[in-house]
Amino acid sequence: MVELKFDGDGFLTNPEIWSEEVAKQIAQEDGIDMSDQHWAVVRIIRSNYEEKGNAPMIRTICKETGLKLKDIYELFPLGPARGACRIAGLPKPDGCV
Amino acid sequence: MEKLTKKQIDDAVRLLKMPPDSKLVTHLNACVHCGLCGESCMYYKTMRDNRFIPARKVELVSSLYRRYCTLTGKIAPFLVNAKELDEGTVKEMVDMLFGACTMCGRCVKHCSIGVDISYVVHFGRRMLAAMGLVPDTLQATVNAALDTGNNMGIPVGDFVDTIEWLEEELIDEYGENARIPLNEKEKKVLYTLNPREPKFFPLSISAMATIFYAAKESWTISTNMYDVTNYGIFNGDNAQAGQIAKRLHDEMYNMQSKLLVLGECGHGSRVNRWEGPNYLKHPYDFEVATVVELINSYIRNGKIKLDKNRNQELVTIHDPCNLVRNGGLLSEIRFAVKNSVANFVEMNPCGTDNFCCGGGGGQLAMSEYNERRLKIGEIKAEQIRATGAKIVATPCHNCVDQLSQLNHTYKLGVKIKTIAELTADALVFDEENED
Repeated sequence: MVELKFDGDGFLTNPEIWSEEVAKQIAQEDGIDMSDQHWAVVRIIRSNYEEKGNAPMIRTICKETGLKLKDIYELFPLGPARGACRIAGLPKPDGCV
Repeated sequence: MEKLTKKQIDDAVRLLKMPPDSKLVTHLNACVHCGLCGESCMYYKTMRDNRFIPARKVELVSSLYRRYCTLTGKIAPFLVNAKELDEGTVKEMVDMLFGACTMCGRCVKHCSIGVDISYVVHFGRRMLAAMGLVPDTLQATVNAALDTGNNMGIPVGDFVDTIEWLEEELIDEYGENARIPLNEKEKKVLYTLNPREPKFFPLSISAMATIFYAAKESWTISTNMYDVTNYGIFNGDNAQAGQIAKRLHDEMYNMQSKLLVLGECGHGSRVNRWEGPNYLKHPYDFEVATVVELINSYIRNGKIKLDKNRNQELVTIHDPCNLVRNGGLLSEIRFAVKNSVANFVEMNPCGTDNFCCGGGGGQLAMSEYNERRLKIGEIKAEQIRATGAKIVATPCHNCVDQLSQLNHTYKLGVKIKTIAELTADALVFDEENED
């Protein structure tokens, strides 16, 4: 198994080794049991990252998954950045998050 | 740490030899190492390591001042405890001045002789910035702002798409006059945002747009420059801070607006309202106000009507350091909250003696100090728990993020809201507003 490396904030420092197994492991740390809705959000974030190199806007996440804003905050109590992006194996976004 | 070059040392020493005025020297010389500041500092209180005592942080800078700027320090440094600017000194400075200070200024209030410790810490950061030693994580946020115009690197198209989406939902709820006007010139108010709002947490934008609609305000947001943040105050590079501040300043002329309204952001308000003219070396000839003051003017002038009974849950306030201890908005924040909620309780201590959330000073950007940030945040978490409040209101998105993480880490079970969100929930519309 490849060693997972995290920064001080718990974001993967080697995002390229991310897999759905890794996602489950990170989710567990946050006390999240991954449902289909969790996966839908995480997969959108991951594919946006692989395509464009950054996290998608919350707007894109809502549009692509059909979920409402409040659903996303409920699914990921730590929010889209520290919650969902971390599980999707992204590096920590810049700014006040 | 790599060996320091002569140029790095010269650049840092030049700053020490040429401070903008005599304030630095006065404050460096005034500290008598009484240590009273220790008990005021979240780092020292939670970790009990003498390195964290604020006076020790002052000493890091003053020992260099004595070494390079006093005769005795140059000839016989050991007599006056003067230190060489070497790799060891610099490593300690990075760790203490960047990694162990939120620049909250609580120690300044508790200092028996009023040494402006956070000013000295900022000066130390300026020396480190001159040597190119800003932590990469913090510099990345400044670079994003410099390179893209906002600190999260949001492309204009994505921003517009997000605002249009929010506007559609607003129009669905309140009718076609409930707009979020983009790039409209000659409006009275130019409104600004923290980029984390459009990127991840847009409810506060909708809340403020609802308040603007209720107040029938003439306002706009510029897609060219809407970022209220300026991490240049944290990385110690005043030239970069000035560059970012100038963009917002210039955008006021571009949009021909009269009033620059600073979104709910502690350091952003401080930079653009109080530091900006110093960076740019001239006064601003337009009005600048924080959004809390603007909301209060609507309440006072009867432009909006609120029914505080619509917010029944017990609310407490977290005072952002840059807005209250360092900005004087103590009563303004309470006026807005007490007009918007039915049940309110103060934290202890609060106001100008309040503890920082733990995420100030650029700490949220610096992952390497995450463990310390969450550790010092325990003080704030226990303060919140002791109030029994269900909602923590705070007019700063940086504080909101740290408080949200504390909420999760320390299992507080509260909601964190901005002032605009609470006020918007209490709005009462008269018939005129409804289409």
